[in-house]
Amino acid sequence: MTESRDGRRWMGVGQSAHPDSHTAADAAGRAALVGAEPKLMIVFAGIDHDGTAMLDALGHIAPGVPVIGCSTHGEIGPDGAQDDTVLVAAIGGAGFTVSTSVATEVSGRQRDAGAEVARCVADVGAAPYRVLMLLTDGLLRDQEAILRGCYRELGASIPLFGGAAGDAWRMTGAYVLGDGRTMSDAVVAATITSDAPLSLAVRHGWHEVGEPMIVTSAELGRVYTLDDRPAMDLFLDRLSAPPDAYTDTQAFTQFALSRPLGVRRRSGLEARNVSTEVDMAGRSIGGGSAIDHGSLVWAMTGDEESIAAATDQACEQALTGLGAYEPVGMLTLSCAGLRAVLGEDGTRRESERLAKWAAGIPFAGFHTYGEIARIRGIDGFHNQTLAVLAFA
Amino acid sequence: MTDHGAESPHVELLELLAVMSSFSDEDAAMGGAVERAAQTLEAEVAAIVVDDRVTASVGFPAKSVPEADLLAIARRERDTLHVPGAGECVAIVVEWAGPHHGHLVVARAGNGFSVEEHSVVRGMARLLSLTLTMLRTLAAEHAMRERSEQLLDSLRQRQRLLEHLFDIQRSISRRRPLAQILDLITSAAQDLLGDEMVGLWVYDTRDTTRARLVSSVGLAQDFAPEGLTVPLAEAGATGAAMLTDDVVVRCGYQDTSDLIAELTGGALCASMAAPVHDSGTVTGSLLVGSYRPDRVYGPSDIQTLRAFADQVSLALTDANTVDRMYQAFRDSLTGLASRGLFLDLLRERLEAGSAPVALLFLDLDRFKDVNDTLGHAAGDALLVTTANRLTSQLRETDIVARFGGDEFVVMLSGVSNATEASAVAQRILGVLGEPMLIGGRKLRIGASIGIALHTPDVPDPADLIRRADIAMYQVKRNGRCGYRMFVDDMWSAVD
Repeated sequence: MTESRDGRRWMGVGQSAHPDSHTAADAAGRAALVGAEPKLMIVFAGIDHDGTAMLDALGHIAPGVPVIGCSTHGEIGPDGAQDDTVLVAAIGGAGFTVSTSVATEVSGRQRDAGAEVARCVADVGAAPYRVLMLLTDGLLRDQEAILRGCYRELGASIPLFGGAAGDAWRMTGAYVLGDGRTMSDAVVAATITSDAPLSLAVRHGWHEVGEPMIVTSAELGRVYTLDDRPAMDLFLDRLSAPPDAYTDTQAFTQFALSRPLGVRRRSGLEARNVSTEVDMAGRSIGGGSAIDHGSLVWAMTGDEESIAAATDQACEQALTGLGAYEPVGMLTLSCAGLRAVLGEDGTRRESERLAKWAAGIPFAGFHTYGEIARIRGIDGFHNQTLAVLAFA
Repeated sequence: MTDHGAESPHVELLELLAVMSSFSDEDAAMGGAVERAAQTLEAEVAAIVVDDRVTASVGFPAKSVPEADLLAIARRERDTLHVPGAGECVAIVVEWAGPHHGHLVVARAGNGFSVEEHSVVRGMARLLSLTLTMLRTLAAEHAMRERSEQLLDSLRQRQRLLEHLFDIQRSISRRRPLAQILDLITSAAQDLLGDEMVGLWVYDTRDTTRARLVSSVGLAQDFAPEGLTVPLAEAGATGAAMLTDDVVVRCGYQDTSDLIAELTGGALCASMAAPVHDSGTVTGSLLVGSYRPDRVYGPSDIQTLRAFADQVSLALTDANTVDRMYQAFRDSLTGLASRGLFLDLLRERLEAGSAPVALLFLDLDRFKDVNDTLGHAAGDALLVTTANRLTSQLRETDIVARFGGDEFVVMLSGVSNATEASAVAQRILGVLGEPMLIGGRKLRIGASIGIALHTPDVPDPADLIRRADIAMYQVKRNGRCGYRMFVDDMWSAVD
């Protein structure tokens, strides 16, 4: 645990690899609950864990304390990146205030669901520092619309942070925890206010390859042509892809996982994963995120070194954003796609890098199906990035 | 690093066009437009003000939209806006004219907006105005149809045609072939305005005092084949609209030129033309003509023609966007990589470290003499020939750029030693030394080439280029026409 100097805020993290969900949540929860006045418990757990059992265990050790959480593609904690564990982060102290909300049956009404969960911001009083944390079912399409719904309700008044739940790449169903329930097709949110800074940062570690391309035909999240040529072929050409990536779905996914499409934004390129939803016959590319007709895009690539540099930048920016305040903890959400690029050893080294930045303060996170960090402007849903929230 | 923010603003407008053409009612269009404006400009706030009322906004908590502040910005009484969560934001406003005039406001934390960003917002406001006009007309006619059975038939037809405008927008946004889109527009304009003749004319690229016909309906092919050019001064309303950048109406063709009389079989009684633009510059005009003596063009006809002319402008701008982007990264004369692109690619290649790299810095000998004695056109022809000959000696994996003037730089990939690099330089000198037919004369041109090899101690692309440049100057000093490999001793010659 780390407690702020004035004793008004603390954060704790516990993790258990016990296969029984109740036992694991009990152990992790007790390890995380190390201060007075716990305000929120955040659970990141393997897809096979039983949400109801975890909620039950946490309800016993901290009655009345709200719990939000979700399934993952791997948990990130001080003991490294692990699978199938229960990781619990708790924040508390008089300096924090929390309110939570839940939206269910989100498919087809993403915007409304976003606006719905955003209303929990009104349940907490005025405070100098605030953030709305969101955990979404990672298998929901059009995640951007959930954030647009939040922005419609809240405007620029509060930053957004969070991630999309994973299901260990099974793509059959993730879950989120909130309001004492385990849910799919749902979004959970927690407004966290603090009397000390809350600092967000997000970074990707990709760089562009060759000349840009114009999206000359796109619809419903798929890019059909780039520079008037079939999108898949031009994308692969730009990256000098091996022949089997042009013909074999598996080979394409493997190749594209570490090579997102960079969409031009005013402040730089935004990475868009195009490795899923492969369309060999139609030669289109896409990954569920909106890429509009007319956009300027680049093929991008990266490696462990560039991702490590992004990790450094995100941590440094988040911690620097606390100003003169000492950090008490961090939430670190990293894209599931990065695991494929980094491999097992690289993922371990990434965790070590996070631990180095944490320098003894607790941190918790998970490998997501999409990161949420709206810091400025209107957009905040990201692919293949590291998003960090630092608490002072 | 490429400057991602400095591309043509037309790309953003295309994105907006794709979004706008998907909306079927006014509120949805305004809601979509403010979100898109905020997204494109990475702004916290965007709002639309119509008739002293905020009709759409994004960036403020629901029910807390500071209407009075936004109206003050629309009236240009202030230029900053307090936005909860973002602090004091710089605001810009663009007004659009016409029957449904309004304002688009965008506000962002941090520094002000660049000239390019102003241009993007202006373009967005224009597109928004066009879309809203169409949607309002549609909505009004829906309402009228309910009230008046008598108008039913004509309104049905009008509504069908206005819906056709959306089809045109969709065709543009899906990048159907340009000729097909232009034909779609001229046919729709004829259908909607009910005139006998429609012609789309653009400046003839070979002679800008003439206009060229690119699409037409109702003109006899015998008299007016596509591709026909006419002098602007004799092109009636068409030429006048192109020269004045405004809608021109001509009634009565008693004093018309022989040419116009011939093109229309002497039947033209009235005509109207609206200018069309490519990226904001007048590039032609859309002409409608009637053979009926009682034809009078009223304000609603003018507005309709303007709407079709805007569609033409969008189609032309869209069609040229890919070309322009290509040009931004390419030398416009030779089609070789630009300096910026070359530096990006060199940096990438060096960082990747997957293959050794050698650079050749090439400067033509006595190019200035050719320019001075034979003129710039001959100089340009010489540069193009040089570029072609250079390219002919290289592999697909090699990259050649024109750095400006008569300087060229070649990146040889997979070349790690002086022998291989020298062999390429030798080949290039050989092929450039062959006679060139320039301006009717046979010229022989020599070149000086400096070579630098990439080694681990020279990680910086600029440093590598400098070494090749220094070696090239050594060749110049020693009598030109040859090549030299860079060696460290050459630094002293520079100092």
